[in-house]
Amino acid sequence: MGFLQLEQVSKLYGEFAAVRDFDLEIERGEFISLLGPSGCGKTTTLQMIAGLVTPTNGRITLDGRDITREKPARRGLGVVFQSYALFPHMTVAQNVAFGLEMRKVAKAERDRQVAEILSLVKLTSLADRYPREMSGGQRQRVAIARALVIKPPVLLLDEPLSNLDAKLREEMQFELRRIQRVVGITTIMVTHDQAEALSISDRVVVMEGGKITQVDHPYSLYEHPKNNFISSFVGKSNFLAARAMNEATGVSLRVDNTDLKIPATGSYPGGELCLSVRPEKIRLTDPAGAMLHGPVSSRYFLGNHWLLSVSTPAGEISVAVANLGAPPPSEGDITGLTWNIEECRVLAAEQESALQS
Amino acid sequence: MQKNGPFALAFHTLIVLFVLAPLIVVCLVAFTPQNTLSLPWDGLSLRWFAAVFHHPDFVASFWNSARLALFSATISTMLAVPSALAITRYSFRGRDALNALFLSPLIIPHLVIGVAFLRLFSFIGATGSFGWLVAAHVMVIMPYALRLILAALNGMDLSAEMAARTLGAGEWTVFRRITFPMLLPGISGGWLLAFINSFDELTMSIFVTAPSTVTLPVRMYMYASESIDPMMAAVSTLMIALTGVTMIILDRLFGLDQLLVGKG
Ligand SMILES: Nc1ncnc2c1ncn2[C@@H]1O[C@H](COP(=O)(O)OP(=O)(O)O)[C@@H](O)[C@H]1O
Ligand SMILES: [Mg+2]
Repeated sequence: MGFLQLEQVSKLYGEFAAVRDFDLEIERGEFISLLGPSGCGKTTTLQMIAGLVTPTNGRITLDGRDITREKPARRGLGVVFQSYALFPHMTVAQNVAFGLEMRKVAKAERDRQVAEILSLVKLTSLADRYPREMSGGQRQRVAIARALVIKPPVLLLDEPLSNLDAKLREEMQFELRRIQRVVGITTIMVTHDQAEALSISDRVVVMEGGKITQVDHPYSLYEHPKNNFISSFVGKSNFLAARAMNEATGVSLRVDNTDLKIPATGSYPGGELCLSVRPEKIRLTDPAGAMLHGPVSSRYFLGNHWLLSVSTPAGEISVAVANLGAPPPSEGDITGLTWNIEECRVLAAEQESALQS
Repeated sequence: MQKNGPFALAFHTLIVLFVLAPLIVVCLVAFTPQNTLSLPWDGLSLRWFAAVFHHPDFVASFWNSARLALFSATISTMLAVPSALAITRYSFRGRDALNALFLSPLIIPHLVIGVAFLRLFSFIGATGSFGWLVAAHVMVIMPYALRLILAALNGMDLSAEMAARTLGAGEWTVFRRITFPMLLPGISGGWLLAFINSFDELTMSIFVTAPSTVTLPVRMYMYASESIDPMMAAVSTLMIALTGVTMIILDRLFGLDQLLVGKG
């Protein structure tokens, strides 16, 4: 049984289900990300774990103890809010000490623990500042310190990096992971940024419309997305319409009049299918004998790679070409495209258009 | 931020001058050495200020007004805080009606309220009672306190309270340590606004004060209806100064509020 466990947890607002039948088992010390577009129920899920929102149905247990109806004050989980929710009328040290004060920790011990945690988040010199006198990144670290100082069994982070600018965001991402490793705390982070989720989590929970669509390790999630939504939301992907042809040895797919042999990884329902290929898995080749070919319709230089769009009979295909010194074909040039058959995913064709919009 | 052009600047200066002109004239007249309402062309004098301080009725009325404003502003603020919390934080039957009821004294003419209280007070034998006078003032000034506190509550980030709860604070502790301090600029502003409104309330007070509880505005009104001399200007100047100082404090508090809520 998991350290933190959610069983069939739902939250209804009237008829509307913000979260539906959420099942998840989290091990001690794990770093989990809840990933999904805005409005998919991530915050609601996090707040149900924190005790700030009461679930309509289901059960939440922590270390075997049922906490479904317990008050947030009694759960003692560390929560970092999207807005950081610092107390504006208290200094950094007072903010951080608040949780210890509530636990009636003696003043001397309190000061010691506050100093210790502030040094962990590298804010020792700013202990007497007020939140309004600090930058976004500093405030975020105060919020983390305030949540961690009470030694909570679980740390809950609601889009902790979304208010930071791009550069700081990348830095703080790894800083967050460092702090989590040092403390060894079970952590759940909400994010709508797939790069963030993939780079620092042990497992990623993808959510859509209040439901879990896939739970996996970042690498498997990227390489084996379960549906179109995930492969387009986690990283970028090209979708090609395909048809399954019956064959004993595997499944052969017909994409734009070319038969592609795909190793059978499951049985595909006959009829409409969809092939998902990531832009970085596609290679440029000679048009003759390529899987697809067509003119380059746009070409962007992105530093470490080029992003090409090629107009093929199967539609516009994005291709990412690593910058290895020689520039790729320019706009208007005809190029061929090819990829290893094992590196594309076969998905059911359902809801593709709805999800891509 | 956009800079104002010279036209806009001149226009604004004119409006400010137009608004301030009567006040400036009154303040100047207060310093006249003459016996008539005239501008102090021939030297400044503080004789009319001295006259105010030697007029026992005015001094007594000033203290009446100050005491009345202090009590009624404090009581209305104490009532406004829980009312504002109830209106913004909870949904219950009749919430909108309650909100409208609390704000209605802003809409009903004070003349009407004054007449109503006059009838009520003589009916229950409360004429001349300081306590009932306070009650009447609380009713007409509470909307001002309530409006400011409601605004402060609506602008407040609820997640700070949630954070306190997750850190182990109970409901009362959350209010005492988080909500109240975060609302303090709004509460102080509401108190000051209520204080000013009570201090210069005339229309209703004319009906409900008795000889022993005459407030400063009522005293001035009574005095001015019999004779006009520069002492009135001196009293007015003192009131303008007092209100001005309060307004400056109000602005200070709200500047602070902006800092805490807006850019925080
Ligand atoms: N108190 C509430 N009342 C009604 N609907 C709500 C409430 N809180 C959230 N919702 C709805 O639930 C859905 C999920 O919200 P949320 O969990 O905040 O999404 P996310 O954090 O993934 O962006 C949204 O559609 C939102 O409008
Ligand atoms: Mg959210």
